[in-house]
Formats: sequence, C-alpha cells, structure tokens
Amino acid sequence: MIYIENNSTDPFFNFALEYYLITEKQLPEDQIFIFWRTEPTLMIGKYQNTIEEINEDYAKKNGIKVVRRITGGGTIYTDMGGWQFSFITKGLAETIDFNKYIGPVIEGLKKLDVPAEFNSRNDLVIHGKKFSGNAQCMLNGYTLHHGSLLFDTDFEQMVKCLTVDDYKIISKGIKSVKERVTNISEHLTKPIDTDTFRKLMVESIMQGSKAEYQLTAADLDRINAIAREKFASWEWNYGKSPKFNITRTGRFDGGKMEFKLDVNNGKITDCTIYGDFFGTMDIKVLSDALIGTTYNKESIKKAIAASGIKQGFYQINIDELADIIC
Amino acid sequence: MKKNIQMPKLSEQMETGVLAAWNKEAGDVVKKGEVLFEIETEKVVSEVESMESGVLEAVFFEAGDEIKVDEIIAVIKCD
Repeated sequence: MIYIENNSTDPFFNFALEYYLITEKQLPEDQIFIFWRTEPTLMIGKYQNTIEEINEDYAKKNGIKVVRRITGGGTIYTDMGGWQFSFITKGLAETIDFNKYIGPVIEGLKKLDVPAEFNSRNDLVIHGKKFSGNAQCMLNGYTLHHGSLLFDTDFEQMVKCLTVDDYKIISKGIKSVKERVTNISEHLTKPIDTDTFRKLMVESIMQGSKAEYQLTAADLDRINAIAREKFASWEWNYGKSPKFNITRTGRFDGGKMEFKLDVNNGKITDCTIYGDFFGTMDIKVLSDALIGTTYNKESIKKAIAASGIKQGFYQINIDELADIIC
Repeated sequence: MKKNIQMPKLSEQMETGVLAAWNKEAGDVVKKGEVLFEIETEKVVSEVESMESGVLEAVFFEAGDEIKVDEIIAVIKCD
C-alpha cells in the first residue's frame, strides 16, 4: 500500500484526484491510501437527486460546496472538523467487502481508546451513534472505498444543510437514511486536535510504512482539469440526477400558482401549470418556454424572458417566478 | 444464440439491486467487456460489463428500478 499526502481541502480537486488515479494514472501499486478533508461540503451519492437531498438556498448563502461522489449511498456533510479516507485497490472483488477497509480504521481508533463498532449499513458507530459513513464503487477495474470520519464537525450546520424545503418530489433516486451522529473527539480519553488525529490514523493504517507517491506537476494539471470540467460542473452535480417529478407552489396575495415538472438529464421534459393568475394563453406560452430548459434558476429566467412574458404576471416578476419554479 | 443478463449477487445478504443507469440502449451493438449498466446495492456502485459481443436485443427495466437478484434485466443476441 502506498500513501498519497493530499492537503487540498477543495472537494472538487479531491474527488478529481481519485478519479484521475483510477481512470488515467493507474499506478503500479496494488493499493493507494489517502486521508483528506474538505471545506464545508455536501457530498451527494452518485445516484441521488441533488435537490431532493440538500437545502440548496442555505448551502449557497453560506458558501457550502455541493459535489456528487462516484460512490453509492446517501448525502453527507463534511467540514474541516472531519476527515475522509479513500482506499483505491486494483481489481474487482467478487463480493462486496467493507471489513477489509474499515478493519484497519477500527484498529486505529482502538489505539485511541475509541469503542467503534459496525452497524448494518456499513457505518461505524459509538454507542449506536454514527461517526463514519462508508461507500464504494467499482470502476475501470478498481475498487474505490470511501469513508468519512466525524471528528469535530459542526452538527448545527450539518442539520441546516440537510433540512430540505418541504416541496413534493417523486424520483427513483437513492434516498439518504438519517441517523443520529456523534463526533469522535467527544469520546477520547486523552484530547487531541484534528491534525494529531490524522497523523495517528495514517501511521496506524499504513502500519509504519513510509511508502509514498508524490503528485507531480503534470499530475496536478490533469487533476485540476478534471476537477473543473467534471466535479465542479452543474452537469455532474445537478444534471446527472435521476429523472424526477417536482411540484412547486407559490402563494401570493391574489392566489396561488403551482408547477408540476418532469426533469430528466437536468432538463425540463414536461410541465403542467395551475394557477389563479394565468389566462390560457399565458399557460401555453410559459410551459412551452420551460420545456427543454435546463432546470436551474438562470436558465429558467432566460427562458421566461425570451418567451415574451417580459413583465411576469400581475405583480409577480420574472425573478419571483423563477424562484417558484426552481 | 441469445444470452440473458441477470442482476448479479454481489454479497451474501444481497436480495435486490437498483439499476442505477444504462450505458447502452436496446438495439445498440455491444462488445465483450463494455459496460452495459451500473447497479447500486448496499452503497456500492458497480459497473456491469457484457460477457458477450452482439446486439442488445431487449431491456426489461429502466434506471431507478429495484430488481431481484438473478432476475433477467436484458437479452443480448450474440454474434
């Protein structure tokens, strides 16, 4: 096993690093280990519907990044008080094996007197409360195992980011499972800081080995390009959501309006509008404008403006209309 | 010759898997080793490769469907 020191806290870069190692670099070593962390980030499971999982407005206002993983499972919140670990292993296991990767992590925690246990969802718990989620993907002949470790994460922020507005979405996307959480730091007999925790865990998992690969300038160039083109893109993080149906309702002084939208591959494919504000003409013009439009606020505003509905409806302007739709 | 593609069993306890995404459509030519679709089970996303070369003749499920282990997902008409 070889270690790659990754001190980037940019989630797009960090996911691009793994992707690069699996799809392009393909180092000769059988296994790579990385221990890393991120700025406040919402990490969405590969086949989840992003807007169904997160409070997007809150995330935007608070500068919280949103990124889709390449592994399965549900959405997690990560910040500088937590750590992520990745094992990239050559070859595809015949059967799913989490123990192989989580075992060494449990061993490391035992040395710190943390009583960690497995639960039925392949999460790690202390007294029944989750502090580590684990997920995998098998890609291009490699097995990637991802785990998170809550060490000193801001749970208030976590709850706010993951509390989704109450609108109706129907999709076949993978759903997140809410569990009670705890920070490792609360269970230490001797307090240590997050950096010391990292050092001790890496030493334990690497079993004292100093085998390390250092990323070259050429590696960094490619990783940065993948981060920009794939992991930071709207198309990957939102557009790749499984198709879904969403109902959005706006209430105003004179009545209400409701949009039922089908979204597939990030685009509106069908649209039915109900409302007290509309005449038949308006509904047709608006729904025609919306069908085929990318499901984000900017695209929707442009589509409405281009449709000729310049003033919106009555006292409702285009910005307000776009806020209702998306 | 026709070959059925079934939902693989990836662990002892696995009973179903979600067909997460199709990489091919019915009617597409597929080569041995090409990825047909991805499945997700127990928080693991796996690529399922074609064991044959031929034409993807029929598909019985769409992305998002939960499918029992061994159930037939698609049929390939082999070259």
